[in-house]
Amino acid sequence: MIKVERRPVSDPGIDENAKKLTPEQIEGVIRHVLEKESAGRLRTFVETCIHCGLCSDACHYYLAYKRDPSYSPVAKVRLTLWDMIRRKYRVDAESIKMYARISYAECNICKRCSMYCPFGIDIAYLMTVVRRICGLLGVVPQYLQDQGNSHMYTYSQSWVPQDDWVDTALWLEDELRMDIRNGRIPFDKEGAEVMYSPHSLEAKFKTNLLTNIAKIMNVAGVDWTMPSFDGWDSTNQAMHVGDYETMGMVERMHFEAAMRLKVKKIITSE
Amino acid sequence: MLTDDWDWDIQDRVITDIDEWKRRYPIVQECSVSDDGERIAAIVETAPQKATVCINGNPWETEYEKIWSLKFSPDSRAVCSVLRNYEWTLAVDNVLWTEPYDFVWNITISPDGKNMAATVKKENAHTVAQNGRTWGISFPEARDLAMSPDGKRVATRVKTKRLASLDIFGFAENILTVAADEKAWDRNFLSIWGIAFSFDSSRVAAGVRLDKTVFTIAVDGNTWDATFAGIWEPLFHPRTHDVAAPVKTPRGWTLAMNGKTVWERCFTQVWHQRYSTDGEKITAVIAPGFGKWTVAVDGSPWTRTFSDAVLYPAFSPDHQRVAALVKEKNRWTVAVDGTPWPVDFDMIWEAVFSPDSSHIAVKAERNGLYMIVLDGKPDTHAYEALWNPIFSPDGEKLLIRCIENGKYCRKVVKVNDIA
Ligand code: SF4
Ligand code: SF4
Repeated sequence: MIKVERRPVSDPGIDENAKKLTPEQIEGVIRHVLEKESAGRLRTFVETCIHCGLCSDACHYYLAYKRDPSYSPVAKVRLTLWDMIRRKYRVDAESIKMYARISYAECNICKRCSMYCPFGIDIAYLMTVVRRICGLLGVVPQYLQDQGNSHMYTYSQSWVPQDDWVDTALWLEDELRMDIRNGRIPFDKEGAEVMYSPHSLEAKFKTNLLTNIAKIMNVAGVDWTMPSFDGWDSTNQAMHVGDYETMGMVERMHFEAAMRLKVKKIITSE
Repeated sequence: MLTDDWDWDIQDRVITDIDEWKRRYPIVQECSVSDDGERIAAIVETAPQKATVCINGNPWETEYEKIWSLKFSPDSRAVCSVLRNYEWTLAVDNVLWTEPYDFVWNITISPDGKNMAATVKKENAHTVAQNGRTWGISFPEARDLAMSPDGKRVATRVKTKRLASLDIFGFAENILTVAADEKAWDRNFLSIWGIAFSFDSSRVAAGVRLDKTVFTIAVDGNTWDATFAGIWEPLFHPRTHDVAAPVKTPRGWTLAMNGKTVWERCFTQVWHQRYSTDGEKITAVIAPGFGKWTVAVDGSPWTRTFSDAVLYPAFSPDHQRVAALVKEKNRWTVAVDGTPWPVDFDMIWEAVFSPDSSHIAVKAERNGLYMIVLDGKPDTHAYEALWNPIFSPDGEKLLIRCIENGKYCRKVVKVNDIA
């Protein structure tokens, strides 16, 4: 048995939504995700792991928590997917809260561990399966769910209204011209070489980053543009929520914006 | 929109010297060209906070602090958003809408050019202005704008309630819907997108999300009885009120009409459906497998697939042929009825059929130069800039709107003289 000690943390997205769950709903969602949605590799991964622990040292959570075995990659799978499978999907709301905590807050899907695994077991993928289950049950950290909600309406992660996006860039263009004479932030330039696709925050709290990119584009002489319409944000928090329906729509919007603008490359920031 | 008296006998006409504009103004933004080829316009800036619109070399008399979203209406009037004294409004050939706004965007124009609408911000709320008149209702937020074919109605995706930051519980109670004709639909949804009007402008449809994995189509706010695991944008039949939409079923994606699947086969993906003008046939982009794209007509896919992308399949006017833009190994071309042209390009624009359906012309780009490609044969002439070609009503000539040697010209060439 792995000893799991965690400081209690409250999050309304997890605590309040977990209260609404019914046993039937939990069992139904787990069955749907594990039996209908997940690829064959899920079972292969779960059954192939020999618990050797070689992957542990790859995980920054494991290292940051002084090699507490409950933070090792394999423990994350044991405490979530194995737990569900072992208990034939009949798990309670408290377990779902635990799965949510582990998959959303104790693994950031970086895939470093799979580089260390002799079998190439993709723990990050397994954690996304756990997130998908939690996402469908609505047991998601509040901040992340809010970003996913924003994607549903705005396709950007931080509720940027369409007018704010353009207006912000128009004013940033003035700032840009303090440093670069006649500098431009060109919207909707059909046939440009590059569509620059910013992180949502560049349109909201970190606009200086967008000005920096504009400086680089202007000085380097890049033929660039950005869409004035939805699809400009390069991020996709719906993927992290486990809301694959919104994730797909956001990605489609993003690539179709590039194809509508007839650009050859998308440059994104992080 | 070319008027009936448009002269197809004048072969070449140099309209203006764009290089001269660039000597005159410190900033000349991207050019827009009218459908009839007679007018070219760009936002030009004479000094900081001094912008105007230059048309055929003649600037508007007024200067504005900022201008954006310049385009021509189908009847060749220059339309854009302008900022003066910190207030935005819409300018049509430099005649302003009377009301000022905090912002104006999504400028939308009817096919005859007579009706214009935009989403506008006023008093910290969003609403719509149609032909300069602001709706009597506003919303915390509005996104996108769709206009009916007759230009009289517009619809937008609205948020009906202002939520506090991070209010995920408020969002879960459904705050999104469609607003049309100054009224929001009675019902809200978890999510909503892809607004479409019927051919007679009487109905509005949109894709809606009812729950995490439950999707359907709503028409005037009423949902189909059937629900699906996923759905893309709806499209009305060109002569009836039937609505077609790609839907995700347990067998994969397929096409549904009014809630019932109509294609036998299912695919890895289906989207961008389009009817023939008589409404007898429907085509769509489909993926028969991952990384394989093609076109299906009435559910039957072309045998040839393409690795990168397939865009916008369209029927010829006689409904017998389908052309689509296809991309493979990072190269673009046109495929007609499943067969790609034997030439490829760095980029390609929408395929244009001649009125008698016998020819297809496109604008294409290679190595930074633009050319007309007719039926798969690139014209030997290349241009610095080019707009989509337009066929004459008899299909024998093409209107070419281009920039060569720094000058904007409109040319009329005989189809037989190309390539
Ligand atoms: S994918 Fe998760 S478990 Fe693996 S190393 Fe990264 S954070 Fe750790
Ligand atoms: S995932 Fe691979 S490396 Fe990690 S414990 Fe299992 S078998 Fe060992």
